[in-house]
Amino acid sequence: MNAALRHRLLVYLGRFAVLAVILIGTEIGVRSGFMSRLFFSSPTEVFGALLTQLDNGSFLPDLGITVLETLLGLVSGSLAGMIVGVVLPQTRIFSSVIEPFLMVLNGIPVIVIAPLFILWLGLGLPSKIGISIYIVFFAMFIPVYTASLRLDRTLVDALHVMGASRNQIFWKVVVPSSLPSVYTGLKIGSGLALIGAVIGEFIASRAGLGHMILYASGTLDTPALYLGIVTIALFAACLSFAIDALGPVLVPYRFSDEK
Amino acid sequence: MLEFRNISFSFPGRRGTVEVLRNVSFACREDEIVAVIGPSGCGKSTLLSLATGLRKPSAGEVFIDGNVVKGPDPRLGMLFQQTTLLPWRSVVENVELGLEIRGEAKASRRQRALALIAQYGLGGFERKYPHALSGGMQKRAALAQTLAIEPTVLLLDEPFAALDAQTRVVIQNDVVKICRAGRRSMVIVTHDIAEALAMADRVVVLSRRPATVKEVYEVPFSRAAASVADAPAMPGFADYYKRIWHALDISITGMGAVA
Repeated sequence: MNAALRHRLLVYLGRFAVLAVILIGTEIGVRSGFMSRLFFSSPTEVFGALLTQLDNGSFLPDLGITVLETLLGLVSGSLAGMIVGVVLPQTRIFSSVIEPFLMVLNGIPVIVIAPLFILWLGLGLPSKIGISIYIVFFAMFIPVYTASLRLDRTLVDALHVMGASRNQIFWKVVVPSSLPSVYTGLKIGSGLALIGAVIGEFIASRAGLGHMILYASGTLDTPALYLGIVTIALFAACLSFAIDALGPVLVPYRFSDEK
Repeated sequence: MLEFRNISFSFPGRRGTVEVLRNVSFACREDEIVAVIGPSGCGKSTLLSLATGLRKPSAGEVFIDGNVVKGPDPRLGMLFQQTTLLPWRSVVENVELGLEIRGEAKASRRQRALALIAQYGLGGFERKYPHALSGGMQKRAALAQTLAIEPTVLLLDEPFAALDAQTRVVIQNDVVKICRAGRRSMVIVTHDIAEALAMADRVVVLSRRPATVKEVYEVPFSRAAASVADAPAMPGFADYYKRIWHALDISITGMGAVA
């Protein structure tokens, strides 16, 4: 066995051990009464809550709704942020006029502006997607806009000399130049999309993981509360892995480090 | 053939008009290499940008093969000081960029790019991204990119400044050979007297701002020497070096006594 493989195996074994300690530790802690059932739940109790909710048919719809809100918010917000971030710097006067307004909007904490979305779009999915789009937009817009303003002028000049039109320069230089920051925007945005959806559900909703957590909290159903948290954590991790996998597709040259 | 005729260039600055070039005239014939040398900031690069059509002269005209330059001209190619290789494109995709802009069919432009790459000693690196190449190879790839459109007029704006001393001589030599083989007109802007003497048939010395043509020297070394590396050892080289240095009128103020 070579050293690199042994190293990797050791890392995975270590991670498994940490997880086992947490799970077994809470199981023993709660069962023995050392950890209060009001504040903590054992893994078996959380699993029990999952079975109950699967049984009464509320878990999968709750999960599906939050996933849908998050993904729609992420995709639409990212697209909007990307387009505005790339196009706005193309006309300097327009971007100078608009910039302060966008920066002030960006400064408003999402929790403050969320009730407005509920007022406009109602208690259902649209308001949650709206809130999600709102924060994802800025997560994407800011890096893309900043990168577009710092475009390498030499590349633009070189294409001009080769006889490129404004349109060709836009598609061959401006857009590809923005892709590394699009990737950054997606990484930040994926976390925020979920936050936006859940915040919306916290404020007013009839379904979703945020609703499930709020309901569990109100009824002192601690296992269901933990179930909601763990589900959101796992979903966030899946989303993050998926975005990481997009890196080599969006910016292949950043991932080819061979010399 | 490239001709600058009575060129003046000025732009509005904070304290009135800044006059950069005043009545500059000289030509670069077919199969000739002209080096333009002058004190830092005298407007050498501005002069080239007037030939590319990126900027317009305040007075006078630039001619390419007898036609007035009004915008980017397909007969002209330029090698910049900074890299103009697009980092997200492989070497072959970069080399075919100029042909792509002109709307040439994919198969034929790919074929020509691959031939150039092989000719410039970059065989085996076609699919690599620019960052995987050494500085000298990047310069070769940029040269292939510039020459793929087969310009008859070649402009070089301090193109070798970032290369290490040995690589620089090798690339200088390649550029001279390539230029002579194609019977092109080449204008190289430089601040390096030895580079000007070793590569050019004529050296145009510009004065300080507002720049005028101060002196023009016909120099034999580029054609007489076996290679760029051999030029400095030729009789008379040191003499020309001294004369151009004096023409540049750069004062070296002593540091005084160093204790």
